[in-house]
Amino acid sequence: MRGTILFLAGLTAALGAGWIAFPKVLYRHSPQPVDFSHKVHAEKAGQKCEDCHAFRDDGSFAGIPSLEKCSGCHAAAMGTTAAEKNFIEHYVIPNREPEWHDYAQQPENVWFSHATHVKRASMKCETCHGNIGAAGTLPAYRLDPVSGYSRDVMSMDACVNCHRQKGSEHSCLDCHK
Amino acid sequence: MTTRRDLFKITGGAAVGALLTPAPWRMITDGALWSENWPGIPRPARGEIRAKFTNCTLCPAGCAMKARCVGDQPISLAGVAGHPLSHGALCPFGIAGHHLPYHPERLLSGAVEDAAAAIKKGIGEGGRIAVFDTRPGRTASWTYRRAMASLPGGLYLRPQAALNGNAVDLSAARTVLSFGVPLLDGWGTPGNVIQARGNFRLIQVEAIESRTAAMADLWLPTNAGEERAMASIILNGGMDHIARELENGPVLVLGPEDWPEIVELNRKYGALGRTIVSRRDAPVPDTWKDAAPEMEWADAAEGSIRVLLIDETAPGAYVPWHSLETKLSRDAVVVAFTATRDGYARHAQFSIPTAVFPEALDDIPAAVDSPAGVFRLSTSLVPPAAGTIDPAMFIARLAGIDAASALRDRAGAICRSARGNVFHYADSKSTPMKEMKADAFWKSLNEGACWIDDLDPKAPAPKLVARAATRASNVSLVETCGAGLVSPLFSKLHEESHVRLARHEIALNPAGGFHDGERVALQTDCGRIAMTVLLDPSIPPGSIQAATGADVLDLCGGVTGAKVVRI
Amino acid sequence: MNARYGMTIDIDRCNGCGACMVACAVENNIPPAHAGANDRKGLTWIRVYKVDNGKEYPERRSAFVPVLCQQCGNETPCAHVCPQQAVDVDPKTGVVGQMPERCLGCRYCMAACPYHARYFNWWDPAWPKGMEKTLNPSVAPRMRGVVEKCNFCHGRWHEARQRAAAGGLAASEPVDYVPACVEACPAGAIRFGNLNDATTEVARKSKEPDSFRLLEKLGTDPKIYYHSKRDWVKTIAEAPRPGAGKENVRG
Repeated sequence: MRGTILFLAGLTAALGAGWIAFPKVLYRHSPQPVDFSHKVHAEKAGQKCEDCHAFRDDGSFAGIPSLEKCSGCHAAAMGTTAAEKNFIEHYVIPNREPEWHDYAQQPENVWFSHATHVKRASMKCETCHGNIGAAGTLPAYRLDPVSGYSRDVMSMDACVNCHRQKGSEHSCLDCHK
Repeated sequence: MTTRRDLFKITGGAAVGALLTPAPWRMITDGALWSENWPGIPRPARGEIRAKFTNCTLCPAGCAMKARCVGDQPISLAGVAGHPLSHGALCPFGIAGHHLPYHPERLLSGAVEDAAAAIKKGIGEGGRIAVFDTRPGRTASWTYRRAMASLPGGLYLRPQAALNGNAVDLSAARTVLSFGVPLLDGWGTPGNVIQARGNFRLIQVEAIESRTAAMADLWLPTNAGEERAMASIILNGGMDHIARELENGPVLVLGPEDWPEIVELNRKYGALGRTIVSRRDAPVPDTWKDAAPEMEWADAAEGSIRVLLIDETAPGAYVPWHSLETKLSRDAVVVAFTATRDGYARHAQFSIPTAVFPEALDDIPAAVDSPAGVFRLSTSLVPPAAGTIDPAMFIARLAGIDAASALRDRAGAICRSARGNVFHYADSKSTPMKEMKADAFWKSLNEGACWIDDLDPKAPAPKLVARAATRASNVSLVETCGAGLVSPLFSKLHEESHVRLARHEIALNPAGGFHDGERVALQTDCGRIAMTVLLDPSIPPGSIQAATGADVLDLCGGVTGAKVVRI
Repeated sequence: MNARYGMTIDIDRCNGCGACMVACAVENNIPPAHAGANDRKGLTWIRVYKVDNGKEYPERRSAFVPVLCQQCGNETPCAHVCPQQAVDVDPKTGVVGQMPERCLGCRYCMAACPYHARYFNWWDPAWPKGMEKTLNPSVAPRMRGVVEKCNFCHGRWHEARQRAAAGGLAASEPVDYVPACVEACPAGAIRFGNLNDATTEVARKSKEPDSFRLLEKLGTDPKIYYHSKRDWVKTIAEAPRPGAGKENVRG
């Protein structure tokens, strides 16, 4: 009896540590350098995803927009928020690129083509990136310091499952460089 | 009391529990990912892929290039398809030319102030100043000539002009007789030679089976150093079968230097005016016409130069130091403007670091195989390294002339001449010069274009002047892009394979008795250089094949034969 | 229809300049030779060999033969032996893909490859300071301890497919692109294309009587066709002669 209780005590402790404590302890949280609101830009500025996250002529994806894109409108303050003021003061005026944390940063040996998925397969941004576009703030960037990637990064399994379903699983070099 | 058994129970429970949580599984995959982030492996920079155009300055061919850039940084180079001169071809040196700014052996520091002071002192004491320019014909060359005209007694010196400054029209040739000239391995403009190759029969007279000899239609092996003797035999009617070949004109005869036999053969077989043609250079502004004349270095009086400024930035002809040295006065000051320690920097009191390709804005004069004059710019794809000096600006300042806009002024003069056509690299279209305004022309040149002159209908018949031979005869020198730097990737071609000779490596026939990899010395009356032996049965006994380098040219220039000795 | 990317290499046009070797290293982020590298420990995904007719000077004649991964189509030896499944053959293009990130460095594939076209990273790659700025973002640099080889410039293939996707082309259409060595060769000796498309230059040239493949008798069905009019070159390559009976001796 005593033995069983001890066993269960150990079990519960481990379960608690593994499910509750471990995730809290594992990740380092970093805020994004600028408190950007997708909601404000989508609603007030009437912008769609493609306005800032655009394709170039050669089919490559611009990803997170560069300072040039933002300065195009925000050369001077357009609103009254502290976040915008901070952005203009620390980034626009000194012409410094914000060091954005990339939630979806993949390893160096992965080749991902947005053109193939968005233009050819007509996938929606939310399918892989979640509904970031509707949020008023950017989600916190949770870095796993052991692996070096963010908590929200897509693993190879996630990609392969979808590819297998769609019948477009052919060779490793399709996605690896 | 807690017993050991209790501990085991708790630990057992914890172990089972842990396995039912994501923690250990997560640590395994994280560990695998962590192991992939191998420290020290660089991550290539990301960014927008852009194309920029330029022209190569690593040899006089000046082949057109398209640079693939990440943002503003060139990451690879390729030819420009459809280009009327280079036809989209690049040589291996050009293909990795964008590495040169990061070459570990690049010269990046020099006593600039001290050099300027020494120059001023030399001129101040009434000494004669001269500029020696390894690649004449550039706009910078005109700046030097204007500068020398402004300084009392200033001289502009240049290496001997091959073929007297005339051009070769390879497309007109039906038979080419070459005495050891690397026609298919770096001569002229590679793309042009390849394009014209199908039109002519190539007879290569050479002691070793060089790349050109291996690809020629007929290879005439000679004994080591006897190419010139064979030229003489052919000239005097010996070797019927060759004489018969030469009936199939138009004929072109090429030699490594303008030997009298070569000049005579060209005259005899009617090459002058057909395969060897005179060429007019790109126009220059009228105000430049009172610049100092070009003088071949050999014509300068011995011991007459007090201050010698050598511009070695554009790899070109290298004149052995012991020859050049004779022109210097006893207390001469020598300043070398160079990017490498291996050229004239070895002999100069002051070496001033300069920009390398593709850092500097410069122009490339026409190559030997371009019958028409040309004007094309090498644009600055990356900013010049800190501490480098522009020799043209330095020398212009010395002489008190304004040359800041020399390239643009020259473009203006070309535009006013209303001759020729402009070929645009981005869209492969050609515009007649007379339809373009000066500003648009300058813009095009900077974005990737080339001006090609019309052929002069009133061109005078070309004149060829025979010269004495100056090179050692039994050493076959393989070109390695002049005396300049080459990309570190070239170690693939001589360390990780044996496609090309490394610097300080010589190829010998196994019968010579040396072992592969043996350390020996290449010796002439001028000294000796330590070399490593590479055995190659295609080198005949008695011949030595070596990679060109300034020190090798110093060793082998002006002597009759070299020896290999054990050390 | 599936593509089968292949090459024809005209030995009579190759002058051994090495432009292909340099361009390959530039495109695929291959580092300069390590201090200890020699011709057996180097990384030369494409390598030009000098061959000769075996005679003594002055009857000796040489030729240059660029050798790269032959992209074997039949029972691909390296794919067969890899314990890690770090090599796979793409059914849609025929390209034999090497995955250095999966490789554990046993080098079994190097032993299996009859063409010696696979190379091992004996050392971590090192570039002179500043030269790492010139690395190609389309190809991942490899760490030490893994095998690498030519993949027919998969970086350029990716970009071509991306351009095709952006341009509205269907996924099943094989894309048109040119590997670095093909683009670099000043003599145009190396040509690339889809062997399954009879209208391409490579498909036509591969069927010419002067075209042959290396080590035909092994039956690896390589996709690189060499071409030479010179008899002694064909002899060295053990090229089957037209009309000489069995073209491909295999069991």
